[in-house]
Amino acid sequence: MATTAPPQGASRDTTIEREAERWMNDPYEHFGYHNTRIHTLPREEVEAVQLAAMNLRLQERREQVQMLAKLADGQGISQISSLDEMAPLLMPHDIYKSYPVSLLAKQQFAKLNSWLTKLTRYSPEDVDVSQCDSIDSWLTKVRDETPLDVGASSGSSGTCSFYPKSKRDYRLSMTGMRVQLAQKFGEDPKPGDLEDKIHAIIPLYKDGHASMGAFGKYSCEIFAKGDPDYWHYCFDFKLSSDLMWLAARLRAAAAKGDVSKVDVPPSLLARREEWEQSQKDMPNQQLAFVNRMIKELQGQRVFVMSTSNLLYAAAKRGLDEGLSGVFAPDSVFMGGGGAKGVPLPDDLEEVIEKFFNTKRMISSYGMTEMNSFSVLCDHDRYHVLPWVTVFLLDLETGQPLPRKGEQTGRAAFFDMTADSCWGGLITGDLVTVNWDHQCECGRTSLALEKKINRVSEVQGGDDKISCAATPQAQAEAMDFLTGFGG
Amino acid sequence: MMAKRPISYAVLRGKVIETDLIEFGGRGGDISFLAPDPHKIADQIPLASPRLMEDLYSISFDQILDYLAELGPRLELGRNPYLQEALEYSYDTAPTTKPIMDAFYHDLPFMFDKERIRKMVDFNIGIDHLEGWVEQQLNGSTVGIRAYGSRQLHIVAGNGPVLGALTVIRGAVTRGDMIVKVPSNDPFTTGAIARTMVDMAPDHPVTKHLAVAYWRGGDEALESKIYQPHNIEKICAWGGFASVKHVTKYIQPGIELISLDPKRSASIVGKEAIESEEAMDDVANRIAADFATGNQVACSASRLVYVMCGTEDEDIEKLKQLGQKTYDAMLRLPEVISTKPKRYDPDLKRQVDTLRLNDDFYTVVGGRDDEGAVLVSHTSDRVDFWEYLADRTINIIPVDTLDEVLDVVDAYTQTVGIWPESLWDTVRHKGALHGGQRFVELGYGFNGAGLVGPQDGIEPMRRIVKWIVSEKPLPGRPPLWGDSAKDVKMLA
Repeated sequence: MATTAPPQGASRDTTIEREAERWMNDPYEHFGYHNTRIHTLPREEVEAVQLAAMNLRLQERREQVQMLAKLADGQGISQISSLDEMAPLLMPHDIYKSYPVSLLAKQQFAKLNSWLTKLTRYSPEDVDVSQCDSIDSWLTKVRDETPLDVGASSGSSGTCSFYPKSKRDYRLSMTGMRVQLAQKFGEDPKPGDLEDKIHAIIPLYKDGHASMGAFGKYSCEIFAKGDPDYWHYCFDFKLSSDLMWLAARLRAAAAKGDVSKVDVPPSLLARREEWEQSQKDMPNQQLAFVNRMIKELQGQRVFVMSTSNLLYAAAKRGLDEGLSGVFAPDSVFMGGGGAKGVPLPDDLEEVIEKFFNTKRMISSYGMTEMNSFSVLCDHDRYHVLPWVTVFLLDLETGQPLPRKGEQTGRAAFFDMTADSCWGGLITGDLVTVNWDHQCECGRTSLALEKKINRVSEVQGGDDKISCAATPQAQAEAMDFLTGFGG
Repeated sequence: MMAKRPISYAVLRGKVIETDLIEFGGRGGDISFLAPDPHKIADQIPLASPRLMEDLYSISFDQILDYLAELGPRLELGRNPYLQEALEYSYDTAPTTKPIMDAFYHDLPFMFDKERIRKMVDFNIGIDHLEGWVEQQLNGSTVGIRAYGSRQLHIVAGNGPVLGALTVIRGAVTRGDMIVKVPSNDPFTTGAIARTMVDMAPDHPVTKHLAVAYWRGGDEALESKIYQPHNIEKICAWGGFASVKHVTKYIQPGIELISLDPKRSASIVGKEAIESEEAMDDVANRIAADFATGNQVACSASRLVYVMCGTEDEDIEKLKQLGQKTYDAMLRLPEVISTKPKRYDPDLKRQVDTLRLNDDFYTVVGGRDDEGAVLVSHTSDRVDFWEYLADRTINIIPVDTLDEVLDVVDAYTQTVGIWPESLWDTVRHKGALHGGQRFVELGYGFNGAGLVGPQDGIEPMRRIVKWIVSEKPLPGRPPLWGDSAKDVKMLA
């Protein structure tokens, strides 16, 4: 619980602080799991609660999260009086991969735990990891012995980031998905939306430490109410973070033209073929899985979380065979881009909606480092949950852009529901918000425009030429070399 | 009349073009500038016919040197209004600051020193090969070799205004016909030099064989017209792939690409550096000179410093001191050499600030005021964002063995600074095998002979000329006819 420090300056509004605490602790319960209510709160009230929550969280977490304490001390900030004043205390997403990579290569998991401990209010460093010989075994031990379920993700540069998320964070996240996806906006929730077991179809892994692997078991808890008969996954094994990391490093090394320099334990290198093999068969297995689900769960209410391309392939094939409308009409489909560099077909939504008998396939915007997912409305905007404060930062100065008119900047968020980590995060995404616009869908909640880019993709000048190397230049150089003589 | 706006003049073979101006640039906070519509002058950019190369052979190498030597003093800033104007505008487009740009421009005339150029040419190509046929008797023939000037297109980098001048010199002494495509981060300097040439000697063959223009790299309609084997034989392209990438589309038999790829540089330092206060002071000065000069915009500026001091706690404590001293040494550099960067990359700033929170693994010296920073690793890991180090930001990394260092020397590594002398032979030899291309004594990366020899492991000067061979039989060589014909061995 929040410790209450004596008021500084202005008198404290304890009513609003009590409200903020409810939002912070279990916002869905507080709003009766009512999607429409959640997305139609008056903006001023939301911002007042957000500000109160930020101050409560700041007081509480700076005692618990060492990196935050260091940041807040360095900035000399102990209390804020406007939302924008929080901007200097938002943490760049890179902080979650700021350990020396040799610790991972040398499997020094105890040191990694000490590093992680500085980023969460829990204490993974208390766990004895001396026997762990892989990322998977390390993160499993931490998950078994602490409230944490660390989210691991590999980047294209060959690094691996670790977000010390808690199990509670995952559950909140999944609850938010059920509330926002199962209910139709503008209507009261039907009892089934909240209470029924819904078949969760995950054409992915049973388990894992990356979001892709972890979502499976939490969707079983939240959608299937823990009933294994309602939980359907494609791969009856864990998505290995070791293999993910190996793959990322091999890819990064291949881009540089020297795979021999990848310093990985031989035991892991030996699994490279296994990994490449499973990657190769994956699309076919997933398609077969979806087709099996279509047969087995015909007419039932399902929740499907998948990539858009996979759903499209299954739907297209089904339509070609003269089938359609296979699941109950109140089923929920969540697709995602996922496949970077793979263009989505033009008739994507049409084909999926027709075949799966769903009104609309829903997209959402979210990330491992946040509990709250923003769901795309009929007017192509991602509506942000009221317990998340949005900041758009100027790409040049890093300062918050005015909270009015249409603005485009680097997205940053403060998620007051963050249970384990400091909820303030600066992303690598370039986002547009029209602060004054009232969305035609009826939601009053703040919304991000559909088109979201990576900041790194939009930066880069005209035709300034420099002889100094950057990774982009190298990637382009590789394209150039491989395209040569071909 | 509206306020004067920056113009990137096209100077085509003795003619200054300042009509049909259209606007370029202006994206991402850059200034916009005007330049003649390249489509309107496209026909005048390439040389109309190889026949027109003949006039370059009516003058001797010494006459070319005389020309350059006369040009040099005319490029003195105080007496050259074109350069004054170009400098004024370049403050906005250049990646470096005013004092550094001033110093670049101030030093420009000295590049045209006759003896300096003569030595450079002799070292690279050999003047006799440019002046005539160098013959010897070989395998029953008199074989002659001569270096002929080519019709060449230069896509020049803009991180230093000296590169345009260097290109002009290289082209002139090799009797080349030069098309210089200027970059948007240095669109004015080369044009100003060319305008000075037109004033000085409008009909001189060297003036007549220089075409300077700006067009947006990737302007396919324009480039597909110019980049044709009947117009050019060689393309010399620096670094930035925004332009080079498009160039590769036009590479075909008859056009050779000389690519000066993007590079980065590093320093390799022995344990001696932390063994005494004096050594630390000395090495700190040397590191600062190698990374902060010109505000680290050049590829030859060091970005990673490996110190073979070991990774024990006491080693790291000493290394932190070296980091502090290096930072202090950077601040002591005179402003004609190094200044607070023009604009500190905000992404880099974010990364450096993040690192600051992680003081178990890294020590950040400075960087709070966008002045540059020294990042000292406590383990043998370079920072995660090492590829983005710039704006006077360097990473000092402790290692136990030389092998750990050599692993990071690769084909993208241009300059490697070495200290102390005892490491020289080993690092130079092993480093070259790993891909390093230039080895210097630490502290002298920018204070050497200049770009006089090979560059990036290749020899651009030898490659912008065409190496032509002539062969005549020596008396007594049997012909391929008559009685002896069947005994002649034709060997490749």
